[in-house]
Amino acid sequence: MQFIVELGRYVKLLGAVFSRPEQWKTFRNQVFKEMNTLGIDSLPIISIISVFMGAVITIQTASNLDGGFIPLYSVGYAARQSMILEFSPTIIALILIGKVGSSISSELGTMRVSEQIDALEIMGINSANYLILPKVVACILFNPFLITLSMVIGISGGYLATVFTGIMAGSDYEYGVRYDFNSFDYTYAMIKTVLFAFVIVTVPAFYGYYVKGGSVEVGRASTKAVVSSSIVILILNYVVTQLLLI
Amino acid sequence: MIEVKNITKRFGDNEVLSDVSAQFERGKTNLIIGASGSGKTTLTKCIVGLHDVSDGEVLYDGVNFSALKQSERKEIRQQIGFLFQGGALFDSMTVEENVMFPLKMFTTQSKKEMQMRVDFCLDRVNLSHTHKLFPAELSGGMKKRVGIARAIAMNPRYLFCDEPNSGLDPQTSIVIDQLINEITAEYDITTIVITHDMNSVLEIGENVIFIYKGKKWWQGDKRDILETDNQELTDFVYASDFMKKIRQRARG
Ligand SMILES: Nc1ncnc2c1ncn2[C@@H]1O[C@H](COP(=O)(O)OP(=O)(O)OP(=O)(O)O)[C@@H](O)[C@H]1O
Ligand SMILES: [Mg+2]
Repeated sequence: MQFIVELGRYVKLLGAVFSRPEQWKTFRNQVFKEMNTLGIDSLPIISIISVFMGAVITIQTASNLDGGFIPLYSVGYAARQSMILEFSPTIIALILIGKVGSSISSELGTMRVSEQIDALEIMGINSANYLILPKVVACILFNPFLITLSMVIGISGGYLATVFTGIMAGSDYEYGVRYDFNSFDYTYAMIKTVLFAFVIVTVPAFYGYYVKGGSVEVGRASTKAVVSSSIVILILNYVVTQLLLI
Repeated sequence: MIEVKNITKRFGDNEVLSDVSAQFERGKTNLIIGASGSGKTTLTKCIVGLHDVSDGEVLYDGVNFSALKQSERKEIRQQIGFLFQGGALFDSMTVEENVMFPLKMFTTQSKKEMQMRVDFCLDRVNLSHTHKLFPAELSGGMKKRVGIARAIAMNPRYLFCDEPNSGLDPQTSIVIDQLINEITAEYDITTIVITHDMNSVLEIGENVIFIYKGKKWWQGDKRDILETDNQELTDFVYASDFMKKIRQRARG
């Protein structure tokens, strides 16, 4: 029951978010600003995580192929597929929830409890639209780039691992990376990326926007936001995968 | 003129305002006084629609604000200047950007015109050297004054100030009172000021409304306050010996 009420409020908030911005110029500036804080500032952490994950996947796969029965290049193939299909779009999304989602939730929550949201409303500004829409647009535009970069860095990380460990020839790995590439896999990953970007912004924004109380509640909202949006993303991931890949 | 008719406001079971009716006149600084927790802030938030009233209605120059849809309220809202009790400055913006914000959103003024208006408003609250500071870098009283500058930036028709001079020294406090009074008379606007400051009450109190436990208990002007025998009001106003002496002297 509680869930239905919350869902109703979430949908209502989305209704307020998706309306015409008061001023296009201000809106555009805000989108760029948010791309900076939500996107560009995430580059370092995403790069570090991706390079290590790519490397580890490669070493794990390669070290499990002792029989000589499966060709070595399949390591490159496996690394590429796991990065593109799952690691970059989904795991990075979960990491972005922790980084971007929680900050959105606490920013809005703080604005709520310090009456800054009321101040916007009193001026006659649609606060949900003004505060949330630029973040949604920024993430939807920027995340595909971020995730693609993560794929590239992850696959390169695998290559570096072959060089450093000598576990297999770099050329075999490279052959595997190029082997049997299906561009729909990338499309599938981008569909997920855009959907997840929407969740990463709107679910935490929902929790932050409706905070009641003080700093304790702001913290609590942020925690709830991370938990709920992670679950939503995992479920969405399953649904989209079943719909698109079977 | 702003008129409230039979406003009742409940938070859950807690009835914070009971059947409050009052008129706030145009061209006058209308004061709301009352003990802490009596419902003053809640009353003004009901008037501007930040809280939905449980009962009753609010009229802005005859327009029934309570009956308007959220989207229709916008027009009146853009004519409201509101100083929050806590300032509610946008903490991601500098002082200057805070004051400029409503101008940017709602006017087609050039950058230069806006800058002039911002300078003018900040000057009027005696803050001409803080343009580039962030709210976190200001003292409490300075935040209040920036809040006032932001509230008057758009030349509002209706001005609300929730305790504009709490946290200010007596001298600045008087400057702010006079400023609010001047703006009110000069532009013939409807101003509602919540205050705890008896100095302000006896200085600028042309229409004073006393809220007691969520009810409108008394209404009058500063001269009436010296004369009144209303027990709750005198208990509130003449709590200190100093104020008692003032009354004795005034009554001869
Ligand atoms: N959002 C809210 N939810 C629940 N109760 C509230 C809310 N806002 C105010 N109240 C209650 O309403 C009562 C009146 O609060 P209000 O803020 O209007 O007092 P006030 O007269 O402005 O006091 P002060 O002079 O201390 O600012 C208080 O008992 C408070 O607990
Ligand atoms: Mg108050």
